[in-house]
Amino acid sequence: MAVGRSSRRNDESGIRFSRTFTVALFLVAIVLIAFDRPQARSPALASLRAGITDLSAPLLDLTAAPVRGISNIGPYWRNQASLAEENAELRQRLNETRYWRDLALQLRDQREIYEQALNVDSPATQNRIGAWTLGDPDGPFVQSRLIGAGTRRGVDSGDPVLNVYGLIGRVVETGSVSSRVLLLTDLNSRIPVMADRSNARAVLVGDNSEYPRLDFLTRNADLEDGDRIVTSGDDGIMPRGLPVGQAQRDRQGRWRVRLYADRAPVDFVWVFPFEPVPLPMLDPDSEDQPASDENIALEAGDGQLAADTPEPLTGGEP
Amino acid sequence: MVWAVLGLILSLAFYAAPLRIANGPDLMPMLPLMTLFIWSTVRPRFIPPIVIFIIGILNDVLTGGVLGVWALAYLMSLTIARSRDEDGPTREFGPVWIRFLVVLAIAIPVAWAAGSLAIGQLAPVRPLLIEGMASALMFPLLALLFVRRRSLRGSFGA
Repeated sequence: MAVGRSSRRNDESGIRFSRTFTVALFLVAIVLIAFDRPQARSPALASLRAGITDLSAPLLDLTAAPVRGISNIGPYWRNQASLAEENAELRQRLNETRYWRDLALQLRDQREIYEQALNVDSPATQNRIGAWTLGDPDGPFVQSRLIGAGTRRGVDSGDPVLNVYGLIGRVVETGSVSSRVLLLTDLNSRIPVMADRSNARAVLVGDNSEYPRLDFLTRNADLEDGDRIVTSGDDGIMPRGLPVGQAQRDRQGRWRVRLYADRAPVDFVWVFPFEPVPLPMLDPDSEDQPASDENIALEAGDGQLAADTPEPLTGGEP
Repeated sequence: MVWAVLGLILSLAFYAAPLRIANGPDLMPMLPLMTLFIWSTVRPRFIPPIVIFIIGILNDVLTGGVLGVWALAYLMSLTIARSRDEDGPTREFGPVWIRFLVVLAIAIPVAWAAGSLAIGQLAPVRPLLIEGMASALMFPLLALLFVRRRSLRGSFGA
């Protein structure tokens, strides 16, 4: 890229590079920005990104390893004084948790019996995939995390990601050994949620602040300060009931969510692989389907259901 | 040359890896830009525009940003800084630091504008300013590491 030996001095002063080539690189950068916008990201560029992150994952893991050890030293010394008190509190919590665990097991058995009786095929208990965070730059343009698990371990795009307390985001890019997680606080994050108490629906919208806001609430939505917010599963991409945070009003009176995930650092996470719920489709080519004019009547809802109406969908959310 | 490549790779790794020990604002300086700037000052021939471009692209990929944003910002700021050095860059530490501040003053607005255009709304300025401040303040430390190396003794007027 240097213009030539004749223009280069031995002491490296005054070295010049080809202007045409530099301008060409400027243009390439601008073209890349145009084609890699989050709204219109090219699949080829997405796979290029995944390939590079896969290659860099071992190096990032190695770089972060010493800090994982060091970061535990501070809390360890800070907690020494209150260790006995904390221990007693934890014992009490453990006793309470035993009661809730027994109750959960009872309810699980009951649910299985009901599901068998009703012939409902609800999603099986999810396997979770544990992964360390490999990259955590909180840039101005994107809030994401790079995690050390990819398609090889079953991670797929759209899968929810949680830390020990709650949802942190969803997978948006997958490589074979690494994946990128878009945080709930990112500008492009949109997650359908609901209040656990009242089932009031909303969309959790990230705005790069610590507390994402609740949009698309109905005018008289039954929401109160401190309501537990969970995923609603309305998009069919995320399962229902994942813990998100607590509702609270900001100074302008808008509803926001204090994320549960903020209680702990996002260093170790779990990915919950989730099969999206298929949308109900009427297949015009199917032999079991009524004639096409009957289909139209069915869709319009102005006639009675045909005798050979497809069986109700199973496998969705109960 | 090996040291330059190693330095650039390490700067990217340290910039992207989760190195925050305590909760709070991310005080990580723009290590890739600092390393590019230092090498382009002491060994300009090691840092042709294509290297700046590649480091910018890798920075974008590892931080999950839009491809091209940091490549454009690095290229523009370092190219402008170089265009002022027809007779070779100065190596006195004071002027070098000031030149780095100028590079930061170009790179940050370019990255902010390009990033805002890419995401379709105004990006928050605060994280960029924090990174810029951290870079400006930590630049002497990184420069000192270079000066301590025997092969580069004589750089920065040391």
